[in-house]
Parts: sequence; C-alpha cells; structure tokens
Amino acid sequence: MHKVLSDKRTILLLVLPGLLIYTFAILFPIILSVYLGMTDWSGIGRPNFIGLENFKKIIFTDTTFWKSLRNAILLALAYVFVQHPIALAFAILIDKVGGRAEKIFRTIFFIPCVIPVVVTSRMWVSLYDPQYGLINKILDFLRLGFLKQQWLGDMKTALISVIIICMWQGFGWALLIYYAGLKGIPEELYEAARIDGATGVKLYTKITVPLLKPVIKVNFTIAIIYALKQMETVYLTTNGGPGDASQFLANYLYIRAFNSYQYGYANAISVLFVIACLAVNILFQKIFKPENYEF
Amino acid sequence: MARESSFNKKSRIVLIIVLGLFSIGQLFPLVWLVDFSLCKSGDVYGANILKIPNPPQFINYYLAWRDGKIPQYFINSIIVNIVSVLLVVLFSLMMGYAFVRMEWKWSNKVLTYVLLGLMIPIHATLLPNFVIFRQLNMLDSYFALIIPYVAFSLPQAVFLMTGFIGSIPRALEESAIIDGCGIFRILFQIILPLSKPALVTVTVTTFLNTWNEFIMAATYLTSDKFRTLPFSVYNFAGQYASNYAVQFAVMTIVALPSLIVYIALNEQVTKGVTLGAVKG
Repeated sequence: MHKVLSDKRTILLLVLPGLLIYTFAILFPIILSVYLGMTDWSGIGRPNFIGLENFKKIIFTDTTFWKSLRNAILLALAYVFVQHPIALAFAILIDKVGGRAEKIFRTIFFIPCVIPVVVTSRMWVSLYDPQYGLINKILDFLRLGFLKQQWLGDMKTALISVIIICMWQGFGWALLIYYAGLKGIPEELYEAARIDGATGVKLYTKITVPLLKPVIKVNFTIAIIYALKQMETVYLTTNGGPGDASQFLANYLYIRAFNSYQYGYANAISVLFVIACLAVNILFQKIFKPENYEF
Repeated sequence: MARESSFNKKSRIVLIIVLGLFSIGQLFPLVWLVDFSLCKSGDVYGANILKIPNPPQFINYYLAWRDGKIPQYFINSIIVNIVSVLLVVLFSLMMGYAFVRMEWKWSNKVLTYVLLGLMIPIHATLLPNFVIFRQLNMLDSYFALIIPYVAFSLPQAVFLMTGFIGSIPRALEESAIIDGCGIFRILFQIILPLSKPALVTVTVTTFLNTWNEFIMAATYLTSDKFRTLPFSVYNFAGQYASNYAVQFAVMTIVALPSLIVYIALNEQVTKGVTLGAVKG
C-alpha cells in the first residue's frame, strides 16, 4: 500500500506536466518581468539595466499610475456600496420566491456574466453612443433630454460610464455568491426566530446578514480584486481615455508597452500591479479562513 | 418546500413581478442588440427604443457570418478550447490525486506553489510572455494560447480537484491496491468515474473562461490565421463601421455558444462559480 502510493517516479509523472506548464507560463514570466522592470528596454534590441529607476519614476512622478489606482478604488467602492446591496437584496428575493421561478431568475440574472466581454463591451459602446445609443434615447423618452451626453467620450462622464458597465457585467456574480451563501443558512434558524416573534425585515437584519458575514467578506474581497484587475472592459470601450480619465492599471501597462514601446517601464508597472494584487489577497486570507465546501 | 409554506400566494406573485421587471431591465441591452441586428442598419437612428423588424433582415446574419469569418474563427476557438480543457481536466485530476493521496515530502509545498497562481492576475504575464513566446517563435500559433490558458486554469482546477478527491472514501482504492492495481488504473478506473461531478465543473468553468478570453488572444496572435471567435466582433468595427445592424448580428452570433452552454449546464456553472468564489 505505502509502496504503491509513495513511488517517486509515478508522483513525478502525475505532477510534472502540469507543474512545468504552470511554471513556464506564470511564474517564470513574473520573474522575467521583475528583471525587465529594472531595464529601459523598448522591446527590441538589448535591454539596459537601470536598477530601480523605473519604480522611482512610477511612484514619485507618474500621475497616470496613481490615477489608475484611484479609479480601481472608485470601482471597488461602487461594487461594494452600490452593486452589492442590490445584489444581496435580489439574492434574498430569489431565494424567497422558490419553485421553478427561483431557478429561472437565478439563471437569467447570471446571463450577462457568461457572454463574452468583447460582446458586452462593444454593446455598451453602442448603448452609450451619442447619436443612436439607447441611453440617450431613454433619457429623451423620460423627457430628461438635457442630461444627454457623449458618455464615453467626455472627461466628466467616461469613468462613471465604465463603472456602470462593470457593475452591470458583474451583477450576476455578486448575486450568485450571496445566493449560495443564503442556501447555506439552515431553515431551522428562521423557524426558531419566528417562534421567538421575529418577523419581516427583522428576520433578515438579525439572522440573514450576520450569518452571511463570511460570504459578504469573500464577496467584498473578490470585488476589490476584480476592480484592481479591471482591463478587458476598459480596453474595449475607452482604452483609458479621454486622456487618462478612465485608466486602469492593467490597461495602462499595456498601453505603455505596446503603444509607447516602453517595455521596461511597463514591466515595472506590472510588478507593482502584482504586488498590489498579492497584498489584497493576503489581507483577505487574514480576514477570512477557508471552509470546506461540498459538491 | 419549507420556505414557501410561510409565504402566501399573493405576495409571491408580487415578488415574481418585481424580479421579472428587474431581470428585464438587466437583459434589456441584449434584447436591444438582437432587435436591431434584425433591422435595417439606419433604423437604429430612429427615435424608437425598440422596433419591430419588418421584414426581419436575415441578410445581416449572412453578412456577419461571411465577413466576420465566423467559420474560421469558430474552428480556431474549438481547437484551442478542446485541447485546453482536456489538458486542464487531465492534469488537475493527476495533480489532485498526487497531492491528496500520494505520500511524498514536498506534497504540501508544491500544492501551495500551484495555488499561488490563484492570486496572480493574468495581465501581469502579458508582457513577459509576449517576449518569451516571441523568442521561442511561438507567437501566432495555437500553442501561444493553449499554454497560458492551461496554466491559468490549473490553479483553480487543482483547488477543486484536491477538495473533491479528499472526500472520496479510501476503501475502494485500498482493495484495488491489494488486488495489485497500479496507480494509473486506480486513477482512471476508480477515481475518474467517481470524480465526474467535479470534473464537469472544471470543464464548464474552464471552457467559459477560455472561450470568452480576449486579451491574451489579442496579444499573442499577430496574424489572422489562428484568431478566435471574439475577434469577429473586434475586427468588424472597421469594415462595417457604419453598418450597425451587421455589427450587432456578429455580436449576437458570438454570444450564442456561451449562452447555449450556460443554459444547458447552468447547475454546473453555478457550482463552479460559487466554489471558485472561495478560491481567494
């Protein structure tokens, strides 16, 4: 028994293929990125080693870097304070409705999350279009025509418009995670509370929300990491513009590398980006310890 | 159901109406898109919020199919995805087993190393991988997508598989070993069939992620030959810049496969999402 399970060659055979591909495509590149971040490479020719020069420049003089970080924080706040309360409320309603309707609504609300981001982003570009977009048409219809905007093209509205897209795309995710959390609360607790005379909203503020605390924490952290990682949507809608009004970190490093050919500098941003993501993750693991989940 | 008994019929109907209205709101942009994909291109400029296409312009879908290179991109997507998903399933099963059941000193350390991948954003590898792939002449090939897709799907898949394999009782394996079965027979004849629910979850979530993936494809593919389905949408902005109806038709076509897979397998997707949520 022990002999079969501790055969070194078998273990190597089982683990090695996955391990190699993972190391090759994730870990090795990150290490390379740390090195490239310390060069002034343009992408062709030979890289010049310049030490921590790029990092200094980014941290002390790069306003776009800080703006990207600020935008990520604003997006995270929008997720946590706007998207999540609505998602939680709807998760409770869906859980309550029961029967076939429960499954149908759960399915419907998640649909935007499975549609390719290329489609949803391009679709929102059309929705926001000043000439034919749905948003301006609806404003006209509501006799609010004076609010009509060039949503994505205007310094003042670009960021909020991108944030709205992100909230729409991710709504189903937030909802589904809360919904799964609700399913984990045993019905007996509600019964007991009802016998004690709790009703209506009290039932939710006294039982549901406190018991959902771990799920709320996970969901918040996911939202923050999502906000930090934001790239596809912004790349496909405003590409950070106009100016850097709606810029995000991942998109910014991409632009620096492929549009301005500052490969070394972009890698330095990339390294800071990984550090930020790791920091949020570690913080999250401190707050919340994983539990066992069953299929 | 217990939850329904404490809940009268009237308020349930009100609830269904509220949820119905909100879900229409959530899906309305998609309805709008499909609606105008069937209209004449200029119709979208009208004042109407929706418009009954009269007659429906199916020609838009024909043009989208032909000029969006849907068949070519679709085949590329299929090849990249099938290979990626198969490798992820195979590797995560093998690694999951080695981490949970096999006895070796480094087991926990190596597992931690793999799970570290859950914290690393894909975007941070775009630049270095571009350089590496270029150096190895791997840009513009199926490998340039398959390798990172597998690598990035593995941590979560391994996470799910270790959790699941850990919950399988050991008795069957023990008797198999006593009967003289080797590890590979145990893995593929006992563990594999028992792990089906977890493997389906891994398959569906990996498929949806890689099928919809765009940034890596945009970075590592430089010519048209290997491009995947999302490019149909992306390329169209130029050629059909003012023909919105055809653009909308492309978007509808590209959205369909994921939508169909999701509706067919929505239990597994739901499980994958909620389990994946704890990954951190």
